[in-house]
Amino acid sequence: MPDLASTQLARGMRDLLPEEMARVRRVESAFSQTCRAWGYGEIRTPVIEPLHLFTAAGTLSPQTLDRVYSFLDWDGWSGERVVLRPDSTIAAARLYAERLDGGRIAKLFYSQPVLRFTDDGSSREEWQCGVELIGDTGRAGDVELVSLALEALGALALPDVQVRLSHAGIVRGVLAAAGLAPEEQSAAYDRLLDGDLAVADEVEARLPQLAAPLRLLFEIEGEGSGYIANLHAALAGAVPGLRAPLDELAFVVESLEARGIAPRIAAVLARRFEYYSGIVMGFQSAGRRIGAGGRYDELIGLVGGTRVPASGFALFVPPLIELIAAEPEHSAPALAVEAASATPRAAAAAYEAARALRAAGIDVETIAPSVRTGGQTARMGRLLCADAAPRFVLERDGAATTFERIADVVAALERAR
Amino acid sequence: MTRIALPTGDLRADAAALLDAAGAGIPDYAAGSRALRFPLADGGVARVFREKDIPVQVALGNYDLGICGLTWVEELTQRFPGHDVVRLRDLGFGATSLWLAAAGETCDPSLRIVSEYGNIAVAVARRMRLPRYRVFPVLGAAHAYPPEDADVVLVAAGDEAEVEAHGLRPLWRVLDSSAWLIGNRRSLAAKDLSGVLARLLAGAVPLAMRPQAGHDGAPALSVPPSLPLRPAAARPRSVLRLALPDGHQQPDAIAVLEAAGVRVRGYDEGNIVRRPQTDVDGVEVKVIRPQDMTQQVALGQFDLAITGRDWVFDHLVRFPSSPVQQVIDLGRCRYGLAAIVKDVRADTVAGAVREWRTRSAASPIRVASEYANIADHFARERHLGRYSVIPIAGASEGFVPDDAEILIEGIDTGSSVRANRLTVLERFFESTNCVIANKQRPTGALRPVFDALVERLGAGALAPAAARGA
Repeated sequence: MPDLASTQLARGMRDLLPEEMARVRRVESAFSQTCRAWGYGEIRTPVIEPLHLFTAAGTLSPQTLDRVYSFLDWDGWSGERVVLRPDSTIAAARLYAERLDGGRIAKLFYSQPVLRFTDDGSSREEWQCGVELIGDTGRAGDVELVSLALEALGALALPDVQVRLSHAGIVRGVLAAAGLAPEEQSAAYDRLLDGDLAVADEVEARLPQLAAPLRLLFEIEGEGSGYIANLHAALAGAVPGLRAPLDELAFVVESLEARGIAPRIAAVLARRFEYYSGIVMGFQSAGRRIGAGGRYDELIGLVGGTRVPASGFALFVPPLIELIAAEPEHSAPALAVEAASATPRAAAAAYEAARALRAAGIDVETIAPSVRTGGQTARMGRLLCADAAPRFVLERDGAATTFERIADVVAALERAR
Repeated sequence: MTRIALPTGDLRADAAALLDAAGAGIPDYAAGSRALRFPLADGGVARVFREKDIPVQVALGNYDLGICGLTWVEELTQRFPGHDVVRLRDLGFGATSLWLAAAGETCDPSLRIVSEYGNIAVAVARRMRLPRYRVFPVLGAAHAYPPEDADVVLVAAGDEAEVEAHGLRPLWRVLDSSAWLIGNRRSLAAKDLSGVLARLLAGAVPLAMRPQAGHDGAPALSVPPSLPLRPAAARPRSVLRLALPDGHQQPDAIAVLEAAGVRVRGYDEGNIVRRPQTDVDGVEVKVIRPQDMTQQVALGQFDLAITGRDWVFDHLVRFPSSPVQQVIDLGRCRYGLAAIVKDVRADTVAGAVREWRTRSAASPIRVASEYANIADHFARERHLGRYSVIPIAGASEGFVPDDAEILIEGIDTGSSVRANRLTVLERFFESTNCVIANKQRPTGALRPVFDALVERLGAGALAPAAARGA
């Protein structure tokens, strides 16, 4: 038989220990509290969806579709495949189209994983905290989403948070003006994302009317509305299709600047998502990607709903739990509560005492872990319990005190606090 | 020790000639011996497989080198892009192409795609951004499916004329294929294969390089920009559709029809006419693989089919809520499904599992079978623990013990088991041929035709006593 690695963990999957889960819960809690405070409602979509939801043009790119987990379900004799949720925005769009009235404004958030195959050792299951703002909110919707994301990230006290903005129409406008077919546009877009600036020169050769080099667009990361004004002046004359995207981008950038937020401007941001149609946003902390999103005005129509403007973002939980500060230790250590003898009645006395102590607000442990992991508490003493006198023996600081009533134990512990 | 996987079937003569020209000839392989293993001059071993199984075996690392058609390498690649197969050299024979084809000028947008190359068909649909499609992987006779049972097929054919000879219209040439020498990535990285490799590479005469060749010189997948879609006019079916099996079940199906007094002209032993004619009014017949019938009946493409209970079992353990059901046990074509091993001291499956676990506690127990779903079911039911199912296309007797621990296989008299010194650990299912139907019976004018044909076919069933003696 062939030898395999010793772990029984499936490839690309990871376990989370209590200390890591405490960090996950802190991220989710900060995110959900912020969303609720802004009037958003939580949703959850199924982990299994029909594959065809993700295959239509304008949803997932072929490169992403090559990496989805699709299979025939147990009742898949009809030949139609299902898929493990590879993207939450498309699933939320389906939910909106089917369950919420088309045209209404829906403010939704979720915390759930997406699953995609990777072959570079990275995780194949990525938990995301996402927001979808669906309905005709105008340009203010984009400003709201950037602000909401920054407030949620602010609650986590992350170091050096940066916002990067782009507009899907900028690259599309340039590549279309250069006469590239849709599939050539996708290939050129991916090359640009990979940092291949030779594409800019190739496209430029097809646009002799340009007044300024395209590297102004692709090579420079702009620092605010001044940069957008420069792009207007240098490129919009030769590529009229750039005017509307640049105007939309300027609206969001100027709104954020007026609040003291300085977004950076990039020509290309989102990777391999074809559904973005307007503003695209990215978030970084300490140089790491921690979130992304954008406007997807065509998507609801593509998944069977009436065409409704929409936009959203997702924060990536794995980098966030590494970036947030360590979980503080509990201030109050727990009391160990144990049976004084190995009898059923003594065990019952210990668990009944533990219940009463917890009800009184005292942290107790009835079984002490052999290994203490982060987030768990240290001992403040031991209470031995029996079903006959002396019913309770409290051992603290090298001394033992006996009690007959649990109320007296509670009173003694409260005096000692 | 070099281990090389060689093809049986269409490529065998050319592969044998190549080995001969390279000074590594295997006379018994060239002569078409039924043996499945041959010693190599350098102490290595050559093993004969169905072509389709060779990329899988090389990818698993069971074999260092292999010779097979590029289509089967691509079929593996499209499902498992990270596999360990390296394409080494076009060997200059076995040229063929994969074609998308339809029955007419246009195809219905419901897009039922039938192919023996299911993974490539899925990849083509995905790259074409088809919004909704269904791929039906079949084991054979894909060209017989359009227009009633498929809108598009992906079939292998030498040229357009060969596609047209099946009554199909070629839409697009998806892949050019020929026989290739392939290798396992880890074997090539760590093992000295230079002797046999140098001889095989020197003996190869590549075909002319094709214009769509990819970075390793192998032809790349090509997809059409679009398909000529046009909704077919919806017409209620006016005939009852019966599927009859080809292959080893055909003689028993002929016996059933004779005993039932149902004449089917063109459905004779040794003769494959895909659409034979019957004298039963209101009934249309098509001949397809028995393995593929259950899904077709579940989909409602056929009202009745004669297949094996083994394939019904394989279908139902995969799709428990399928509407397929057996309506008559015909009692013929009798054999058992068994768990077969070699060189194992234990005489039960549980004992064998303990023996393998003693040797290697964490490694998967490999279960090879043409019945992939039954093999999976068997492994779960018998609590094999960590296991892997290796779907195979044939030449199965040679799989144990080197390439699998257990073989799930149909056995009748057991002569093949004895000849290959194999051990039957457990015979767990008795198969006979049977008539199947969809739980949703035909309605209207078709219902009396259905009932009458079921009654007649029932007359072709062997009585249980006779069946036991068969």
